[in-house]
Amino acid sequence: MERSVSAHYPGGVKPPRFRGLWAKRLAPYLLSLPAGLWLALLFLVPLFLMLSETLKSCSPASGACTMTWNWGELPHTVNLYRAQFVTSLLFALFATVIDLVISFPIAYWIAFYGGRRKNFFLIMLLVPFFVSFVIRTLVWEFILSDNGFLFSFLHRSHLVPSGFHVLGTSVAVVAGLAYNYLPFTALPLYVAIERIDHRVLDAAHDLYANRRVAFTKVILPLTIPGIFAAFLLTFIPAFGDYINQEILGGTSNTMIGTVIQNSFLVNADYPAGSSLSVVLLAISLIGIFAYARVLGSRTIEEYL
Amino acid sequence: MTERDNSEGVLDPSFWRGLTQPRVTRRQALGLAGTGVASAMFLGADAGLAGAALPNAKVGTKSWWAKQKLHHQLNFANWPYYIDVLKGHHPSLDYFTKTTHIKVNYSEVIQDNPSFYQKIRPSLAAGQSTGYDIVVMTNNSVQLSYLIQLGWLTPLDRSKMTNFNKYAGPLIKNPSWDPGNKYTMAWQSGWTAVGYNAKMVKNPGTSIEILFDKRYKGKVGMFNDPIELGHAGLLAVGVEPATSTERDWAKAAKKLQLQKSDGIVAAYYDQSYIQHLKNGDIAVSMCFSGDIFQADLNSKYKNLTLLLPHEGAMLWTDNMAIPLYAQNPLDAMTAMDYFYSPLTQSVVEYYDDYICPVPSTKQQLVHPTGWNKAALAALKPEIGLPTTVTANSSTVFPTPARVAASKSYYTFKSQAEIDAWNGLFLPIIQGA
Repeated sequence: MERSVSAHYPGGVKPPRFRGLWAKRLAPYLLSLPAGLWLALLFLVPLFLMLSETLKSCSPASGACTMTWNWGELPHTVNLYRAQFVTSLLFALFATVIDLVISFPIAYWIAFYGGRRKNFFLIMLLVPFFVSFVIRTLVWEFILSDNGFLFSFLHRSHLVPSGFHVLGTSVAVVAGLAYNYLPFTALPLYVAIERIDHRVLDAAHDLYANRRVAFTKVILPLTIPGIFAAFLLTFIPAFGDYINQEILGGTSNTMIGTVIQNSFLVNADYPAGSSLSVVLLAISLIGIFAYARVLGSRTIEEYL
Repeated sequence: MTERDNSEGVLDPSFWRGLTQPRVTRRQALGLAGTGVASAMFLGADAGLAGAALPNAKVGTKSWWAKQKLHHQLNFANWPYYIDVLKGHHPSLDYFTKTTHIKVNYSEVIQDNPSFYQKIRPSLAAGQSTGYDIVVMTNNSVQLSYLIQLGWLTPLDRSKMTNFNKYAGPLIKNPSWDPGNKYTMAWQSGWTAVGYNAKMVKNPGTSIEILFDKRYKGKVGMFNDPIELGHAGLLAVGVEPATSTERDWAKAAKKLQLQKSDGIVAAYYDQSYIQHLKNGDIAVSMCFSGDIFQADLNSKYKNLTLLLPHEGAMLWTDNMAIPLYAQNPLDAMTAMDYFYSPLTQSVVEYYDDYICPVPSTKQQLVHPTGWNKAALAALKPEIGLPTTVTANSSTVFPTPARVAASKSYYTFKSQAEIDAWNGLFLPIIQGA
């Protein structure tokens, strides 16, 4: 059916009148069928499965779940882990802002001054991230370890007060997040800055804009969609991340990702894990919809 | 831990109903992680309690065992640092393979009871092999009780327990958590005690209070298992864990919460604490007795010292078991009994230094009489201490007085108690 319809629309040729009405109405739906199926199968169905999981009661022993329409689970769990949500939110926010501040000059420099070596510089930026995520983080644990080479040197040379340590603190977690998600910020920013027409800048200077004004009035507004895309691409995974906290964090900075991981893999508390995951997903979706509302859905397809 | 009483079979019917029906409020606590149970049954909304046959009903009988054949391979899941190692080999397993032609795939995959249980549970629930023929679970964990009560373990072959019957010590024979050794044979026992770095800790004293000492702010390691953490808290507030009440638990939780909010705790660790203790990231930590002994023997970490606090140390036992649907049960049975030979134990124990399940190993360590002579000699340069040190160690072959002074874990009597316990101690570990 789908094929026959599309076969009858070669390059905007008007379809025969007798079947035109039906075809005309159905065509958009049929054309979006593959994408729709994709979305339904890989997003909506799992989402509903996860939602239904929040209504069940599961045995911690056998893992068997029965539907008990337990509507209280989701609000209860979310309420219980409020603090971890707030921690995750703050950490992810800090990490994203740090990433934006660090990668904007890098992306700007590569885009405007990279010249023929642009690709080389981009690769240089990405090479450290060819190593597995977990291994990179473990190496940081090794570096930041209190008796590791860095801190034993700092302590020996009295460059830091005794008792100063980084591993196990919130600083270490935020730094780990910022480090691990840097390419997710840098690349969309680069794409946004790279497509700015240099003549626009020349025009700004012709109109007596100094460098600062040219930046705030021309470059920044033109890169806003890129900044927003970078923000989403960094913030969403950082928000749900648990590796950094597990490896670099201490006792007082548990993130929601760790709680979800524990719920599923240690406590066998699937309803709680599902509830938290649903809320995490909802927050991510709100971000994407906000993006679409503010900047239009077209920019999503360009950057995300 | 043999003195611990059994509380099975004294549950009243209303209690049963409450347990076997799903309850909406069951998860008021933060979920259910490692929780210690001896033999009370409380499996929540599980099938199998309503009188239906357990999945292992027809397994492990005499006729079933008679049909089993050796496959000459064995998949053994154990905890890290729990068996003799020499240049990447395990001499005790090498000898086993040499004499029985059973190839052993020994993997150190168990970091803690709850998460390992979650790894094997889906296979067992689906009626499939877990991929392991021997697993090692701790008696204080609720997971071992789950495995027994859900019928997910293979009953052992009585006729293949000759070494066990002959040599097993009273500490682990016919234990309260598995009467008659129907499903399990102990691997080793140990204490959860205090370990410290003597270079960083000058006056350790004899009390568990060292874990709460402000002098070691940010340098104290605690365990992330709520059972272990809670019991350390109970000892610290001066309560006998085995007879504690919910009010005591609250007191212990308050003490631990304060310890955390004062910034004394560096982190709540799993098995990884030992690495952090070696690295000097922490000065003092809750520990498993054998880990410290092993590190201590290793000349590089001479500073690590074990402290069995005068308030008492928790005594636990890790148990070998054959999961249901295991592919090589007869090979597993053969290996389990092989580890009860004093000759084998001498090699394992020389490296391992937990509490030995076979008391007569002591003589074998001093005067080896068989293949263990060469194995012990080969291990010696690696370990760097004469075998008599292990033989005379009171943490390997404890005196009856020392065992009696050890503490037993609290025996949970209902799911509600587990929930209450976890509701108190899990937020300390997982809290923001």
